[in-house]
Amino acid sequence: MSNKLSIILFSGTTDKIISAGVLSQAAAAMGSEVKIFVTFWGLLSFTKGPKKMILPKEFENMGAALQEGMQRENVKSWYEMIKEAKEFGAKVYACSMACGVMNIKKQDLDPIVDDMVGAATFLQEAEDGQILFI
Amino acid sequence: MTEARIIDSRGAACPGPITDLAKAYRNSKVGDLLEMWATDAGVKADAQAWAKKTGNEILEIRDDPDKIVIKIKINKR
Repeated sequence: MSNKLSIILFSGTTDKIISAGVLSQAAAAMGSEVKIFVTFWGLLSFTKGPKKMILPKEFENMGAALQEGMQRENVKSWYEMIKEAKEFGAKVYACSMACGVMNIKKQDLDPIVDDMVGAATFLQEAEDGQILFI
Repeated sequence: MTEARIIDSRGAACPGPITDLAKAYRNSKVGDLLEMWATDAGVKADAQAWAKKTGNEILEIRDDPDKIVIKIKINKR
C-alpha cells in the first residue's frame, strides 16, 4: 500500500460520499496521507448548512432503511468520518473551476474544506500515490 | 511486563475500531502493549493489515463470547 491516498469526490449522492468517508478515515488511521478533492456534484454537500441525504434514483426508496441500518450498526455520518480523517492530517480541497461554474464562493464552503485549489495542485499533491475517483 | 492498555471499541462499526487503535498508537511508545476490544466482524483482518502497514506486532487474536480481543505490541513509533 502506498503512503498516500487521494480521492476525487465527484458524485453528489450520499451513498458514494459515505464510501469516500470510510476510505478516508481508514487510510488516515493506517498512517496514509489523505487528500480529498471535491468537485462538481460532490460540492453540493460541502457548502455550509445541514447535510441532506441524496440517493440515486434507483435506490431512492431505500433511504429510510439505509438510515436505520446505519443507526443500528453505529456507523458514523460521512461528515464525522472525514472529520476523523482530518484529525490525522487529511486535507479537503474544493475544485476552483467547479466552484466557479456552480457559483460557490470560498465563504460558502463548509469549514471542513481546507482550501479551494485547481486540478494541477491536486495532481501534484497526489503524485506517486493511489488515486480514487468516486 | 508492562500492562496492556485497553482500547474499548465495542459497538463501533468499521473504520471506528482501527481509528481508535491509531489514536492509541499516537500516544504510545515502543514496547507498549495495547489490547483492543471490538465487535465489528472486519476488525481481525483490519488489525492485521494495520500492524503490517505500521510495523507493529499482533500477539494474539481471540474470540470471547461477547467480543473479539486483539493484543498488539508496539515495535515501531
